[in-house]
Amino acid sequence: MKKASTLKRLSIGLGAAALTVCLASFAFAAEKTVKIGNVEPLSGPSASVGIQGKQAREMAVEEINAAGGIKSLGGAKLELVYADSKSDPTVGVTETERLINTEKVHIMTGCWNSAVTYPATQVAERYGVPFVVPVAVRDTITERGFKYVFRIAAKDSWWVRDQFRFLKDMQEEFKTGFKTIAFIFENGDWGTGFAEKWRTLAKEAGLQIVLDEPYPSTASDLTPVVTKMKTANPDIVLLVSNAADAILLTNTMAELKVKPKVVLASGGGHADPKFLENVGKSALGMFDEVEWNTDVNKPNAKEANAKFKAKNGYDLAGESVDAYVATYVIADALERAASTDPKKVRDALAATNLTTGPGMLVSYDGVLFDENGQNKNAGIVIVQVAEMNGKLDRVTVWPKAARRAGYTPVFPMK
Amino acid sequence: MSALYQSLVNGTMMGAMYGLTALGLTLIFGVMKVVNFAHGSLLMVGMFAAYWLLKITGMHPFLALLIVPPLLFVFGYYLQDLVIKPVFKSERGVREPLTVIIVTTGVWYVLDNLALMLFGAEYRTVRTAISGTSFSMGEVIVSWPKFAGFVVSMLTAVGLWLFMLKTRTGKALRATSMDREAANLMGIDQYKIYNVAFGLGTAIAGVAGCVIIPFYYVYPSVGVVFDIRAFIIVVLGGLGSIPGAILGGVVIGIIESTFAQFMTSTWTEAIIYGIFLLILFFKPSGFFGNKQDW
Repeated sequence: MKKASTLKRLSIGLGAAALTVCLASFAFAAEKTVKIGNVEPLSGPSASVGIQGKQAREMAVEEINAAGGIKSLGGAKLELVYADSKSDPTVGVTETERLINTEKVHIMTGCWNSAVTYPATQVAERYGVPFVVPVAVRDTITERGFKYVFRIAAKDSWWVRDQFRFLKDMQEEFKTGFKTIAFIFENGDWGTGFAEKWRTLAKEAGLQIVLDEPYPSTASDLTPVVTKMKTANPDIVLLVSNAADAILLTNTMAELKVKPKVVLASGGGHADPKFLENVGKSALGMFDEVEWNTDVNKPNAKEANAKFKAKNGYDLAGESVDAYVATYVIADALERAASTDPKKVRDALAATNLTTGPGMLVSYDGVLFDENGQNKNAGIVIVQVAEMNGKLDRVTVWPKAARRAGYTPVFPMK
Repeated sequence: MSALYQSLVNGTMMGAMYGLTALGLTLIFGVMKVVNFAHGSLLMVGMFAAYWLLKITGMHPFLALLIVPPLLFVFGYYLQDLVIKPVFKSERGVREPLTVIIVTTGVWYVLDNLALMLFGAEYRTVRTAISGTSFSMGEVIVSWPKFAGFVVSMLTAVGLWLFMLKTRTGKALRATSMDREAANLMGIDQYKIYNVAFGLGTAIAGVAGCVIIPFYYVYPSVGVVFDIRAFIIVVLGGLGSIPGAILGGVVIGIIESTFAQFMTSTWTEAIIYGIFLLILFFKPSGFFGNKQDW
């Protein structure tokens, strides 16, 4: 008897507690927090970049909240809600649905992998929830006439276009005599998309394609691919790699002493701040195409990087900068919308013209979306890995106007 | 032509290491008749153990070979004793205990996620004394870490073979693998033998970890890269066969390396799986497998 009554009391107590929690959360909602849903690869092959994006967003949200939140919404705080896509499109879609329907997020952002972002943005468009894509570069993400999708980073075709502009400029400036070119790329969506455009551009540039080789990112050994590269002996090697394979490829190339005139990567794994740490001098002389570099001469670039490094132990990189900027773009839109109504936020996003503030540490002038939601200003720089004062560094070499003072690009790689 | 020689040499070296990753799997299956799905995770544990040891002490990877495998032996011994044995006992009298397989799958997930929580998802490599060094044999460039891995793999296989053939424990292991009831009647404590088998299998994963880490990287789900291949090798070489594992590994390594010179490496993966299917159709016992296991 005694036992039963204790149970009863306990259940009443629990019920009351649950009710309090409910009420409290209602009260909390009334105080307004703006929920930002994030779908990112937090485990699996791209986890490293996903986690960097998460850390950059957290830093931006902390700064924004500490500066008084969204003032036009009575100082509403931003709250990040995460979901792990595992780089899997199916999981990405399910998690986007969950964030929108269950978590009731006001804005979505993510997903890094183009293959995940493509269907996830479709879900958001259907529900009419604004989706800010910091980086996922497949062209078509902002070419479907969607109203609620906005992208910060430059798209695929711009990356590829700039790679060939860079090669042409180097040819003219240094008389490098490029004749042959090889494509080595991961066999996913991203790599095959790049390769398709490379083929046309190489033909236009009058370069002979001597190797066109996709490989699986999860390979345990890339020696076969590098052996092929050695046999083909190209002047230029263009790469698209994820994190782990970038390390393996660079080390294997050094081992087999493959030294083309130019090795030009496309960000991603090569832009990962852990990359240099893992390959060391094997990467000397390699070129990489990135959105951002630590030597970019912009206000807040040094400060933000120092803060990020102190917190996480590595530098900001293109991907994390995009995530950081995207958070400021969202805050700016909310401030102007003075509402969390998705329609109003969408209109505010479309009218974005962000040129100042801590988020503007990017290499270009400001964020301005075209009618498809693509950031028109997004720009790209090309860096070369060099030894500066005994330390490996990524030095900006292109565009020429942005080249680090006193540095001359080196061919071939050492 | 030099590309072909290069591929053959590289394929043989990588293949021997694939064989090494399959050795523990084939040993555990041979003795316990259990397909150990946690094998890739044990390899991951071995790689992380080697990684941290080399990273913190900066010692030569060959020295780590004296430390990591014994540690892993103890780990495997007690993993079997505390986690798998109780389930095994309740499945007494079944020739191929199914629930034990499910338990090993559980162990796989637990270990992988523990590693994810403890170390994070990032890729880690450590520059050892032999990383990135190579020597030339005519036109062929041989990478030192892979050559060392090849030699260690061969020595491990021969060592294990001799151990099984000559020592009392080895004989007890073989007796249990032939007929566990009869072995029991002869006074062999089968559960202790299982502990030893699992410990040995795990120790070999530790050896593999030490030889792979100087040229590869480690992350929590790295086991998957190697264990699917290990399963194919075990079937190719014959379940439970030690020379079969090494030979199977070398065959897979050479196919992967040389075929890639004539087609894209995406295709070679498909071909390896194709061969796997053909073996299952036409010679399910593999090169050296025991027919009665099927």
